[in-house]
Amino acid sequence: MQFRGGYNILLKGRPGGAIKAMPEPKILYLPLSSRRFTFSEICVEDGQSVSGGDVLAKDPNNYAIPLLAPRAGRVRLQEIENYIILEDAAKLKEHADITDEDLPHIVEEMGASGIKRYRLLTLGAWQFFYDAHTGSLPDPLGTPQAIIVSTVSLEPFVARGDAQLHNRLLNFTRGLEQLQSLLEYQPIYLVMPDIKSDFANLIRNHIRGHASVKMLEIPLIYPFDDFAILARKLGLKPGEGPVWSVRTEGVLAVDRALTLTKPCTVRIISMGGTGVNSPTHIKVIPGYPIKRIKDKYVFEPVSRIINGGILTGELLGTESLGLDTECRGLTVLPELQDREFLGFIRPGWDRNCYADCFLSSLRKKFRERLTTAVRGEGRPCISCNFCEEVCPANITPHLIHKYLYRDLIEEVEEARVDLCVECGLCTIVCPSKIDLGKQIIDAKVLIANEKEEIRQEKLRQEELARKSIEEASE
Amino acid sequence: MKRLLKIIEAVRPAFDQGGKLQVFKPVFGALEHFLFAPSTTTLGAPHVRDPLDLKRLMSMVIISVVPSVLAAFYFFGLRFVFMIIVSYAAGLTVEAIFAMVRKESINEGFFVTGIIFPLILPPGVPLWMVGLGVAFGVFIGKELFGGTGRNIFNPALVGRCFLALAYPKAMSASWFEPSHELTGRLFEYFSVGPSAVDAVTVATPLVQAKSGQMCSISHLFLGSVSGSAGETSAILIILGGVFLLFTRVASWRTVVSLLGSFIVLTGALIGGGVVKCGIPGVFGPMMWHLFAGGLLFGAFFMATDPVTSPTTNAGKWLYGILIGSVTVLIRNFTGYVEGVTFAILLGNITAPILDEIVFKFRFRRLASEG
Repeated sequence: MQFRGGYNILLKGRPGGAIKAMPEPKILYLPLSSRRFTFSEICVEDGQSVSGGDVLAKDPNNYAIPLLAPRAGRVRLQEIENYIILEDAAKLKEHADITDEDLPHIVEEMGASGIKRYRLLTLGAWQFFYDAHTGSLPDPLGTPQAIIVSTVSLEPFVARGDAQLHNRLLNFTRGLEQLQSLLEYQPIYLVMPDIKSDFANLIRNHIRGHASVKMLEIPLIYPFDDFAILARKLGLKPGEGPVWSVRTEGVLAVDRALTLTKPCTVRIISMGGTGVNSPTHIKVIPGYPIKRIKDKYVFEPVSRIINGGILTGELLGTESLGLDTECRGLTVLPELQDREFLGFIRPGWDRNCYADCFLSSLRKKFRERLTTAVRGEGRPCISCNFCEEVCPANITPHLIHKYLYRDLIEEVEEARVDLCVECGLCTIVCPSKIDLGKQIIDAKVLIANEKEEIRQEKLRQEELARKSIEEASE
Repeated sequence: MKRLLKIIEAVRPAFDQGGKLQVFKPVFGALEHFLFAPSTTTLGAPHVRDPLDLKRLMSMVIISVVPSVLAAFYFFGLRFVFMIIVSYAAGLTVEAIFAMVRKESINEGFFVTGIIFPLILPPGVPLWMVGLGVAFGVFIGKELFGGTGRNIFNPALVGRCFLALAYPKAMSASWFEPSHELTGRLFEYFSVGPSAVDAVTVATPLVQAKSGQMCSISHLFLGSVSGSAGETSAILIILGGVFLLFTRVASWRTVVSLLGSFIVLTGALIGGGVVKCGIPGVFGPMMWHLFAGGLLFGAFFMATDPVTSPTTNAGKWLYGILIGSVTVLIRNFTGYVEGVTFAILLGNITAPILDEIVFKFRFRRLASEG
């Protein structure tokens, strides 16, 4: 496959391959919202005792995806807004699978094959699925045109596939087989860093005959692991049905939910970044108190904790108490504290630059100690074209920026702003420090809203026309 | 450093909204940010930024013309120092006034214009003309279009063009013979004019070539010929230019297509016998033309200006070919001996159209993609 653009940001503090378990918490703070979900439908009462795997809340807008209790404990609802607190958390017996009396009911409703999908949803595996084109949660009862499974995570830093696959290869291949059983003839694309490696051969041997998996090799450059880019490169068009996409953790969750029929509440997240003393992967459960993780790993006193990687992650404010259900990694960046004297004429042996304007381009690749500094003043665009060079989606950010400046929304649409995958690279490389990524995302939302309005208006018009015809015929 | 920062913090209120010196805020801001990196931090994703900013980018261009600046000192004397000072003073005044009127900050782009402008002037040009030229270039060529990033023409070339058209006599009398001594003119203030005894006005190699006299290639290569202050030494221009290409501030596509088309077309014209040349053969005269005049300087430092050249890669190829071939045509078939200035200005005009064409094709391709 031919890729264009892309750029690796080398941040210090890459998490190692080891996975460390965190000590069992006494109290859990489960946030009621995460990147994609808002669990607005509360299913428990204050003071109620729950066992692990019980449904605490549901998101009615996302196919009633459940927020599961990771541990047994007592629920507190009112204490802190937007959180469900689980007191006296303990690793007791887990919630049973679908009970025998429910089973015929579900089979009747969803059909025999529907039972698997029902399990995926209720046991918490479905939240690992994304629609490749929109990034949202796909319909669990829908039929995808293909499934993309990615073992690669290139953003600095989120949980890596290889760390999670370690010692769990069997579970992974079993998960792929389970995925295959949800499909009829649609292909599964397995994205790997090297399809000729021993590891890839091992996977091939394991799944031989049980699943039709096509392996894809991608260069290890951010953001070629993005599902939207992969779907585009594979020629999977958005109009021809959803493309389910899932990462390593998702396949492992599928295996757990369908083979073992146990709830998937444990997550492996990365703990990396400049401000972490021993970057690693950790095994946690949603709701795990952030303070405890912070006390253990963060050594920079003034630092920013990011939920996700440095390119697309969200800032975790001091008010956030527990990990959300979608967290893939925590990245710690020190805040800018000192203003550099005559920074622009320094040789720059210690800083990586996209354009080779510092002395470091003469030395071997290294990981840089990055902070949250913008590192320059905002200036008008000088059309240096760096943003277009790094853009993996083949659009022209600086041109869109100029169109937006002049309010030329139609031209912005023509420039295919909708193809943007929100990787954030254009913002990073811009020497004029223009936040191109944000402008493009805003424009995308604006255009999408406008289109939706037009569609609604059309529907209304059609409705009116139909009514008038009906009235006339009466 | 801490003390300096404290002083800056102490005087800041005077320049802020409602302060006594509020008008001079851009000047204060420029000084402050020259000394200290800004304290702004990222607000959301992405949380980090590349270390490259416009200051660094422009410093790279300045570093890359340093060899040519040193050559100008060496060949034409300390006078060149004053040309740089005047150029910066006049240009910065215009830039600062505009920044104060617009209430924007002073942009770094001028630091490049200010040093490139004296380099493309005849070394004996009166200092007031340097000031006038650069002020005209910055005012008409840049600020009237909306400042850095919005100008269509290269401001230095606009100023140069203005001087050439407004004061043709004074300009043509300002070429003079460079030093041929080992120490150069590093310790002399060299002046031309009616009173100066040591000033010898000498035509540039390209003018001489029109009348059949061709100087040797080695002189062109080293720079000991008459010409604009910074354009004579081919080797130093190539040195700086290649550095600029390595930093990726200038696009190699523009340079390669410009010089390539120039060499091919010149070679074809000489080989075809359309253009007669004092030196026998095809390769020799081709190299002579490549090193003569301002072609190399224009190709490396003027045509590659990101603002005034096309942004797309395909556009850059076309742009380079256009400038290269137009230079050949002007040099050989018009009354002018030097065509780079006009060719680049012509290229600047076509740059937006070239981009438009490339974008049209690209959008069509993107539209077919679901």
